[in-house]
Amino acid sequence: MSSLDQLKQTFFDECSEALQQIETGLTDIREGHGTDDTINAVFRSVHSVKGGAGIFGFEGLITFAHVFETVLDEMRSGKLAASPDNVDVLLPANDVLTDLIAMTRAAEAIPDNYGADSRAALERLLGKGAADGDAEDDDTTPADDFEGLDFMPVRSDAFDAPEVPAGGQSFRIIFRPGADLLKRANEPLYIIRELRKLGELALVAETNRLPPLAELEPDRPYIGWTGTLRTTATREQIEEVFEFVVGDCELDISLETADLPPSIDAEPLPLPAPVFAAPATAAPAAASLAEHSAPSIVPAPAADAAEPAAAGRPAAAKQVATTMRVELEKIDRVVNMVGELVIAQAMLGQIVHGLPEETSSRLAQMLDEVIHHTRELKDSVMSMRAQSIGAVFQRMPRLVRELATKTGKKVRLEMHGENTEVDRSIIERLGDPLTHIIRNSIDHGIESPQDRLAAGKSDEGTIRLVAEHRGGRIVVEVSDDGGGIDPDRVLKKAKAKGLVSPDAILSEDEINNLIFLPGFSTAETISDISGRGVGMDVVRRNIQDVGGRITLKSERGRGMTLQLALPLTLAVMDGMVIKVGGQTYVLPMSAIVECLRPARSDIHNLLGGRGMLRLRGNLVPLTHLCDLLDLGAAADTDERVVIIADAGDGTRFGLIVDELCGHQQVVVKSMEESYGTVPGVGGATILGNGRVALILDVEKLSDLAISQTSPLAAARVGNADQPVAMGVN
Amino acid sequence: MPVAAGLKVLVVDDQNSVRQMTRMTLEQIGVRHIHEAENGKKAIDTASLQPLDLIISDYNMPEMDGLELLHAVRGHPAARRVPFILVTGRGDRELVVKAAQAGANNYVVKPFTADILRTKIEQVVGRLS
Repeated sequence: MSSLDQLKQTFFDECSEALQQIETGLTDIREGHGTDDTINAVFRSVHSVKGGAGIFGFEGLITFAHVFETVLDEMRSGKLAASPDNVDVLLPANDVLTDLIAMTRAAEAIPDNYGADSRAALERLLGKGAADGDAEDDDTTPADDFEGLDFMPVRSDAFDAPEVPAGGQSFRIIFRPGADLLKRANEPLYIIRELRKLGELALVAETNRLPPLAELEPDRPYIGWTGTLRTTATREQIEEVFEFVVGDCELDISLETADLPPSIDAEPLPLPAPVFAAPATAAPAAASLAEHSAPSIVPAPAADAAEPAAAGRPAAAKQVATTMRVELEKIDRVVNMVGELVIAQAMLGQIVHGLPEETSSRLAQMLDEVIHHTRELKDSVMSMRAQSIGAVFQRMPRLVRELATKTGKKVRLEMHGENTEVDRSIIERLGDPLTHIIRNSIDHGIESPQDRLAAGKSDEGTIRLVAEHRGGRIVVEVSDDGGGIDPDRVLKKAKAKGLVSPDAILSEDEINNLIFLPGFSTAETISDISGRGVGMDVVRRNIQDVGGRITLKSERGRGMTLQLALPLTLAVMDGMVIKVGGQTYVLPMSAIVECLRPARSDIHNLLGGRGMLRLRGNLVPLTHLCDLLDLGAAADTDERVVIIADAGDGTRFGLIVDELCGHQQVVVKSMEESYGTVPGVGGATILGNGRVALILDVEKLSDLAISQTSPLAAARVGNADQPVAMGVN
Repeated sequence: MPVAAGLKVLVVDDQNSVRQMTRMTLEQIGVRHIHEAENGKKAIDTASLQPLDLIISDYNMPEMDGLELLHAVRGHPAARRVPFILVTGRGDRELVVKAAQAGANNYVVKPFTADILRTKIEQVVGRLS
């Protein structure tokens, strides 16, 4: 990657931050929490996007950002009201900006007229603003420089060459700038000033090439100069002044022997008039500057200038954290290395255990320490990848507002735990499911204000979005106080669609969970908000794909709650290594409730081969893992171990395995790329002995177990017809 | 006549990408000693710690904008004489006038090429050799 490409990446990263700030800021303003600082921050963010886009030459981005910025400028100067109506134009504009940045980043061509609607809306606001306040300069064709502005650069005296004494030789100088001299950022005035430093300069401007005003091209120099320079400098030194314009002008420097023409000699022109006329407003400032050198103008002591600025913006000051931007790829590399370290450590552990006791005890002690450090290293690296879930949450207020408007319902969104940190890879995949759940809640859950009042609730519905760390997982809960799921309607629908057999008798929980079936929809009419109900199965699959699980609680008439439990990280996890049917597997510790060796008398065999375990007064269904994995008949011994696992929805079941080998950290290696999704298998890992072991997906195992006995069979395991391919090594 | 390689220049911008780009441009001109600051406060710190020959600062920055920084620099005992070039956006005439009043030595409109920046610097420090 070239350094320019890297800079572009940096710029796009900055853009992502800017976009978030814009979104948050606009949302705050929309909800009436905005202050002048908020508008300023939003303006600055758009300005940064535009500025960077300018530097990197992303034209499509510049034009749109420019209009956006201009509107915000009007808003921060108070010419345009920060009213909800106006902000409603800005929010979609941020979407367009987001798209434009994404397209630019992907180096895709930006379709003609992309975002034209939004741009037109912005321009209409500008029209409104201009009518309210002063007419603004038309800035659609920005100049590279303010050529009409006579800002006299103030020469610093720090580098001034010593005064050149007058006298010496006289040089005749003819200097006629070429057509492109100004375009190449050269300025005759400065050349003349340089010349003046060399000695006594007398120049006369040739104005004979000046065209009529109508034909005048402002970026072409029409004036030339002739005159003399009396100096002690050499010809080379004079030529040096013209070094940068040599190819761009007509230049003649010749030693003068004859006397100077009297008119010039008698009255040397002090300095030619500025090449361009100065607008009246700029002239006084420039004039005063030309008189003084900058340091002599000392407006305010530093403290006075700096402190009010800081005091006036406490919110902004709070946000500044000492951070360093690191490419994700680099962190991922460290994560992978930690993974390899974990594996190497496990191998070392095996060797140590194979050694005679007297040599191994000290080694084992050291190894424990190494394991401890590795775990801390893993946690530190993972925390680097972590992002606060607020990045996803902050999109929701707007979604809720828009949907509420569209459906004519009153909805309030409460959010808690926005600062909960989650691995970035999970954050990325959480946005769509959450969006869908909230859409569903507003569309199907929350009732219309009239219905709510009739049901004795307040006319405003509430959606709560909560994130928190709970037992080594991140739990995200979306709850609403709407109507909840109507089990009768769901069951009727499921039967009508043939998703369950017509004579099936299901518990309310089982019925509620039917909404996760592919193709299930409870919406009587198709709305453009949550569509045809293709959502919930996709939501569930998305959550499962990141190793999470989703559970649903619904109370008829009172609302429903969807709980997403997500792993903290995807790369390394705590696992229980087990053996069954001669094979080694890993079960995620997060799914294991307890392990026990039950007495034979506690196991009751039911018809169909499925046993039940009596555990502290409760019955827990049992499954032979080797049956589930099709490893042949299980050895019927008393030595077997039962692992009580949580199926993900709070229900427990027991897995009968042959042997527990121990608890260790394992590195999760995805198998999906090579083998596709295998039901019941979440990935693979490399054990200390160098062999590959499959990591089992407990939730899927539970589904497989149920499918062997339940009427929901085919339905609950989406692809049960697919053979459960297993086999290690 | 100052030598580009000998100039100590401080680049102030809150956007890392812009700072890096300005650094690259300065390097093209031959400037070797480049300091960076991501906000006005850090710029003042840098300027108090070592002699600088030039400050090139963006205008739009959180906390302390370019003009506020300019005021602070001009009021700072150690840094008050350091030449200051303000980086402005296109079309911001009013800002340039304000900058002139506040004691900016020059301004440069973003985006700029190495040639433009060189010219702008030379207008302030003299021709670079």
